[in-house]
Amino acid sequence: MADLISYVIRKIILAIPVIILATFIVFLMMYLTGDPIQAIKPPHASADDLQKLREKYGFDQPFPVQYGKFLWNLVNGDLGNSIAVGSMNVPVVNLLKPKLVNTLELMLIGLTISYSLGIPLGIYSALRQNRIGDRGVMVFTLIAYAMPSFWLGILLALLFAVYLGWLDLQGSIGGWRSIILPAMTLGFGNAALTTRMMRSSMLEVIRQDYITQLRSRGLPEREIIFKHAVKNAILPVITVIGLDIGWFVAGAVVVETMFSWNGIGRLLTDSILTANFPVVQGCILILAIFVVLGNLMADILYAYVDPRVRLG
Amino acid sequence: MRPRKTLNDRLMAWKMSGGFKQIAADVFERSKRNRMVGLGFTIIIIMIALALLAPFLPLATPTHPLDYDPLLKPSLKHHWFGTDENGIDVFSRVIFGARVSLTVASVAIVLSMLIGVVLGLTAGYFGGWVDYLIAGTIDLFWTFPAFLLALAFAAALGPSLENVILAISISYWAGFARLMRGQVLTVRERLFVEASRALGANHRRIMFTHVLPNCLAPLIVWASVGVADAITIESSLSFLGAGTQPPTPSWGYMLKSGMPFLEEAWWISTFPGVVLLITILGFNLLGDGMRDVLDPRMKGMRR
Repeated sequence: MADLISYVIRKIILAIPVIILATFIVFLMMYLTGDPIQAIKPPHASADDLQKLREKYGFDQPFPVQYGKFLWNLVNGDLGNSIAVGSMNVPVVNLLKPKLVNTLELMLIGLTISYSLGIPLGIYSALRQNRIGDRGVMVFTLIAYAMPSFWLGILLALLFAVYLGWLDLQGSIGGWRSIILPAMTLGFGNAALTTRMMRSSMLEVIRQDYITQLRSRGLPEREIIFKHAVKNAILPVITVIGLDIGWFVAGAVVVETMFSWNGIGRLLTDSILTANFPVVQGCILILAIFVVLGNLMADILYAYVDPRVRLG
Repeated sequence: MRPRKTLNDRLMAWKMSGGFKQIAADVFERSKRNRMVGLGFTIIIIMIALALLAPFLPLATPTHPLDYDPLLKPSLKHHWFGTDENGIDVFSRVIFGARVSLTVASVAIVLSMLIGVVLGLTAGYFGGWVDYLIAGTIDLFWTFPAFLLALAFAAALGPSLENVILAISISYWAGFARLMRGQVLTVRERLFVEASRALGANHRRIMFTHVLPNCLAPLIVWASVGVADAITIESSLSFLGAGTQPPTPSWGYMLKSGMPFLEEAWWISTFPGVVLLITILGFNLLGDGMRDVLDPRMKGMRR
């Protein structure tokens, strides 16, 4: 147990530079956009006014000092204020907070859909290796993986909402019937990956000696597969759930925008289109933190399951 | 009379010649029998041919609005893919869109491969604190989803074709660098590297003429998959409005602009979507197939 704890602490320390890199990229963005003062200045500002504004916001100071200040504010939970017309001067943190829950909800349901689709498909496919069912599943995974999420979203919306009328397209204000479509769109591509991983993990397990031994003892095939094989095959697949967060974060930006889901991803694209950079910075930072936490979770779960990892 | 050299003879000669030609012949020989490679390669060749020949084909102008009536249905006689809400031929826009998508994706992947190869090679070859520094940076970039990084850069640089290319290249290189570094770590221990060092070759010569050619096979695989990813990123950026700007024809933007008309004019979004999917599938098939062929150990490495 002690080695697990020291492993976890080591991993947490290693995650810090990633977060710092994220803050640096996000800070650099302001500079790539050109003179940041242009975005905040009142319409008829004179050169003198601009200079005053620069001093007020600290843009006249050298780059490292500005970055240091940015980090300091960040540590104190201050991400700056919005500069868009509709939400002028509202603190970015206040804009982000209510969206966070929506995004988490969408990702959680997407994750559930993805795994409850991928794991049974992977098991089925492994048990039918090289037969027609397996081939069918493999073709499905190829297509599902290649499918860009926005195109899949359009097709699913047409089928389930427009033609069949089973589900709604009301975005985050609708009930449960509105969350299924975006969550499905989000989870589909990842389901393809899960299927493949589950298939290969299952194939590995059912070739092992203890399975042969169980068969020779005359246990029913059903019991061998579900009681003994699946239990072992599923472990490596679910320990890496955390690594999927990257996929879901990227997908959430597109999916939330197209289904008008009121989350971080949609706020991000809206803010990009209105050049509201403080909010863009905040959104990207939050999403980056999601990814880092996901990776951390995968590392820890992996070490918990496989003690050999802790020593590395 | 000297007998004419058949393709096979030439292949044999290439195989003996060493270096790049040998690798090319080897890749060709091994992937001939793989169906995934065959299918993917065919799709890619067709798409590239259409993209290259687009200006010479008898197509309608892809950017002139109101050349035709808007929202015409697809028909074999006039507009194969119909016309969009601005009265532009959808087929022509899809073909010219292939030009944009393939150019952006391949230039971006070549650039990110350059960054990745140089950094990965340097890190793996020299080791020590150079490796520590570079490998750390690689890991940092590897952790973030490339799409999110590209979106951030594209947003900061402003939407345009060149900026999308730049954004994708600086977001995607970590995969190449990781791969390259891993390869170099094993190759640099091989005897021929030691031999050329003993003969007095300098670092640059050893790195680029001895180590690099021996790391090429997985790079090719990764590049093929990378083009598929880059096409996805480009079209997603355009779909969100942060990528290629109209009137430049782009599949992602076409899908978006057709969305309001889905019920009365399904063809505006559907055709670019189908072609987009087939193209991505082609590059994925080629990459996956070649990976299985070249190095079965790499199976499942991609996440």
